[in-house]
Amino acid sequence: MGGTGNLLYIFTDALRSLRENLITTVLTAITLGFALAIFSLFLFIFLNLNSTVSSLGDRTQIVAYVKDSAASDSARLKEILLKVPGVKSAEFIPKEKALEDLRRELIGHESILDGVDAAPLPASFEIKVMDSFKNPSQVTATVERLKALDWVDDIQFSQEWVEKFSAFLKFIELGAITIGIFLAAATLFIISNTIRLAVYARRDEIEIMKLVGASDSYIKIPFFIEGVLQGVLGGVFALIIMAVGRYFLLSEIPAYFSFAIASPVSGLMLFLIFIGAGVFMGVAGSLISLAKFLKV
Amino acid sequence: MIQLFHVSKNYEGAASALTDVTFKVAKGEFLFITGPSGAGKSTLLKIIFGSEAPSQGQIIIDGRNYVKIPPKEIPLLRRRIGFVFQDFKLLPNKSVFDNVALSLKIMGVNPRDIKKRVLRMLSYVKLQHRANFNPLSLSGGEQQRVAIARALVKDPAIILADEPTGNLDPALSNEIMELFKEVNNKGTTVIIASHDKGLIDRFGKRTVHIENGRLVN
Repeated sequence: MGGTGNLLYIFTDALRSLRENLITTVLTAITLGFALAIFSLFLFIFLNLNSTVSSLGDRTQIVAYVKDSAASDSARLKEILLKVPGVKSAEFIPKEKALEDLRRELIGHESILDGVDAAPLPASFEIKVMDSFKNPSQVTATVERLKALDWVDDIQFSQEWVEKFSAFLKFIELGAITIGIFLAAATLFIISNTIRLAVYARRDEIEIMKLVGASDSYIKIPFFIEGVLQGVLGGVFALIIMAVGRYFLLSEIPAYFSFAIASPVSGLMLFLIFIGAGVFMGVAGSLISLAKFLKV
Repeated sequence: MIQLFHVSKNYEGAASALTDVTFKVAKGEFLFITGPSGAGKSTLLKIIFGSEAPSQGQIIIDGRNYVKIPPKEIPLLRRRIGFVFQDFKLLPNKSVFDNVALSLKIMGVNPRDIKKRVLRMLSYVKLQHRANFNPLSLSGGEQQRVAIARALVKDPAIILADEPTGNLDPALSNEIMELFKEVNNKGTTVIIASHDKGLIDRFGKRTVHIENGRLVN
């Protein structure tokens, strides 16, 4: 009976069958590589845009102008602000700093401020809103509470921006998830069909092996090894396709958009993920397709 | 050695392939299963081989009921039975040597012994000069002998052959039948399905006749 002593023998036999099916294996690996590359390119763009869009959200901020009479006690005012629901942080901008900022923004036109001695701008607090409070109705509620403070002179905040931003974020997410589902389904469909055809081409061989008395595991070993090899090759192809694709894309798209196709993980990590995904799909695909032909 | 009790086989949407078949084959016996094409001879062989499950009835081989064995043990049963298929079932992308070696490889025989046994078997069926040939480049009679060599090389207790002379001329048919007779003389149980009445009569062995899936005496 086929004991472990013959494992090496079975293995070399499997490698021989691999050589006989080399073209199919390589073609399947290339398909796997393209499928992985397309899906991960999409994933990159989605993850990168998503994190950029979320960081844009940090700009949702409120400026509270402080009455001159109250400005001297900024530390106490800050404490009060931090207690207002929805306030994440508050930074005090004294009159002098406000003027300085204005000067910086007016570079080349500083003469406008010539003769201005006292700071013309009021002191203010730049307030950041908690993430959980970023939807329009809650931001408005926070703004109303701030307005109610007697030492607050005026509030500056863009209601429209918050609403548009929120809607935009939802739209992007929904669109990306829809495309992602279609893309994942198409990828899996292409990979499983390619593998199924490769296994189908060898159905006679499988049937004969079964009829001569081969156990299921004896038949599975070569397919398993091929699945692993296909996966590794597919992962390498995917990485090459991504690297080449990135090189050409970078010269075509504007520089400020290049962040979108940057890998969110390190090169080595990406390589391992590709290989892992490739091997999983290669092995699972082969063994699932094989199961049907083992019933002889 | 082999006992069939009330074996029936029905395929969905078709007439019954076998109905209530009961017979025994003694160890070392040579048996012909005869009957017209489509009578159920092949189905009967497949049921004994375990590649078809009976719809009803029991099959006992060497005291074990094979209707009840777990699927995992079917390969073990098949290693004890050499089956010569009507369409040979040779692997077209492997040499004659590798085709014959397949049944030994599967059993985990070591490569040195495989080489020895395969070459001995090929010379037994007079094909030693064809060892490295592709089976598709051989004549029908030669392919048949490769199939027989593959079935015999593992020294099976039972040989089943489905129309082994179906595509051969009378001279070749006799040659092949002599091979089976020799194997039988060494103690192997041989069951051959054939509709070639002349051949069967010449051999004068026990015969089981099937018609429309039923045994006829």
